Amino acid sequence: MTKTMLIGLDGATYTVLQPLLDGSCEEGVVMPYLASLIEGGYSGTLKSTNHPLTPPAWTTVCTGVTPGAHGVYDFVRFEDMGHDVYFTLYDARDMRVETFWETVSRHDKSVVSLNFPMMAPPPEVNGSLVPGFVSWKHLRRNMHPKSLFARIDKIDGFDPKELSWDFERESLIGEIMEDQDLYDWVENHLPRDRQWTNIAKHLLAEDSPDVFALMLDGVDKIQHQAWHFLDPKIWTKERAASASDIAKGVRRLVLQYFAEVDEYLRTLIETAGPDTRTIIVSDHGFTGAYKVVRINTYLGELGHLTWKEDDGSEAAKRRQMANFAYLDWDNTQAFCPTPSSNGIVIRQQSEKCPNGVPPSEYEAFREQLIADLLKLEDPQTGEKVIQAVLKREDAFPGVAMDQSPDLTLILSDHGFVSVRNRAPSVVERPVPMGTHHPDGIFIMHGPGVAQVSDKTLQIQDTTAIMAHSMGLDIPRNYEGKVPADLYTAAHIATHPITKGRPSVSRDTFGHGDDMDDTQKAEMLAQLKALGYLED
Amino acid sequence: MLDTTSIEERLKDTVAEFVVDWGLDADISRDTTLVGDLEFDSIDVIQLIVEIEKAFGNRKLGFQDLIMADGRYVDDLSVGQISDFLSEKLL
Repeated sequence: MTKTMLIGLDGATYTVLQPLLDGSCEEGVVMPYLASLIEGGYSGTLKSTNHPLTPPAWTTVCTGVTPGAHGVYDFVRFEDMGHDVYFTLYDARDMRVETFWETVSRHDKSVVSLNFPMMAPPPEVNGSLVPGFVSWKHLRRNMHPKSLFARIDKIDGFDPKELSWDFERESLIGEIMEDQDLYDWVENHLPRDRQWTNIAKHLLAEDSPDVFALMLDGVDKIQHQAWHFLDPKIWTKERAASASDIAKGVRRLVLQYFAEVDEYLRTLIETAGPDTRTIIVSDHGFTGAYKVVRINTYLGELGHLTWKEDDGSEAAKRRQMANFAYLDWDNTQAFCPTPSSNGIVIRQQSEKCPNGVPPSEYEAFREQLIADLLKLEDPQTGEKVIQAVLKREDAFPGVAMDQSPDLTLILSDHGFVSVRNRAPSVVERPVPMGTHHPDGIFIMHGPGVAQVSDKTLQIQDTTAIMAHSMGLDIPRNYEGKVPADLYTAAHIATHPITKGRPSVSRDTFGHGDDMDDTQKAEMLAQLKALGYLED
Repeated sequence: MLDTTSIEERLKDTVAEFVVDWGLDADISRDTTLVGDLEFDSIDVIQLIVEIEKAFGNRKLGFQDLIMADGRYVDDLSVGQISDFLSEKLL
């Protein structure tokens, strides 16, 4: 029997959900089932990882430790080779610690885990695992066990192309779309979560795993592009009254999506049965970004980086449009590698990087850079555009800290930076774009769970809560905790919180390489499809 | 014990398994090309490298030496070229 169910809603935020829960929007109550779960259970704000981004945040949920310990910071990772920087994708082999799914498998518990990122190549678990963020072309090979695809293929309605990640479609996130194009884009996203839920329902009913976990990422995708149709401060009654028919259609469609999510929750929870505890979490929250901050442009103005010369070739054009820094690495001391990182890397002087910052000057350089970053302002309004700059030892302490950016930026509007070679360094966006906010959601419901609201939890608490709910000792290296008021006194008296052996650390796959400089530059040009947010 | 023949056969099996869901009508031979015959894009190349590395001991094999030629990213690769590269690296 399934005792514990985790449902991830990527990017879910009360900013959007609250009017849909309490009916204060003109459409009335859109998510009555979720409202009933909140009413009868434990809920609050879930604080994301220090950089609220999908790969590090979901990896924290899946491992119980924060990025400084698990080692996943972004979609794209890089290796500084001196004359060049080699960019490639993070994957499951980069994680420094086993997943919760592996931990529970070692305790002879069964697992179904669906659509979580960084799960490919898939870990071996006692049950079924389908990774997220994988193209349909590579889906079958990346499932565990190998026979799973054939089994899922028999489920009525299964379509791997609808289910899986479409790199081309997702690369459009951040582009300005006309309302009709946005409608089509949103409409194309709806089938994916239907597909995941359909698979989930079957595996849940047929396998009754000890722990079941599903992540739905449509919330994030739709909020990124259609934020101006969802933020109650933007989509006001006045705005609705004056909207075009197609704009009203977009609004109807995005609310239809949330209504469908509400039905997915009802379907899965009813399938699991009344004895199952359900935990609903997001990896981060959401808000609107109003400015484009071209951070590498600003670092260039400060004299810390030099752009790569444009030789006019097609390869150079492709590379300039890619979402990772394209620089003259021999003359760069500090740079932001990718928009999604919001990170600044300081290159220290070494044999391979002779023009880096001398180690003896690192601290002074970093302090000055922080001061300069905090001075950056919108020339139109005079507003500061960076609200905080986190040092790596504060943001990401742990064994994998050295792989994190030296500095992590929190923009004033929580937006993601741009790394393209454009000026000026700060401009207003023509349309507010959905962006990540640290405050996500936590909702838990089921046997023994107390009726409490408005609490604040940390994202790493999720994994400790799952372990305890399953009757396991919480691994000692887990950074989260079970809130003292999560359960009724009677339940906690018979289900004490205990700690036990740590989860297993693991060696990462060797990523060193010996490409020469030209090879690396050409390789970079080919990694053009790995886009995230850009201006 | 690996030899050129067994490397090529294992590679063909790996590539065949790699594209089995793609709806292609292609027998995998030495002359089969990744882009021209199997419609690879850059993400597929990255994924195939992972699969090949898994098939041959789960270690890095320096594929950049094959993917790059004279400082340029090659337009296409044949299974035969990959097989020869693997033989050079593994034998």
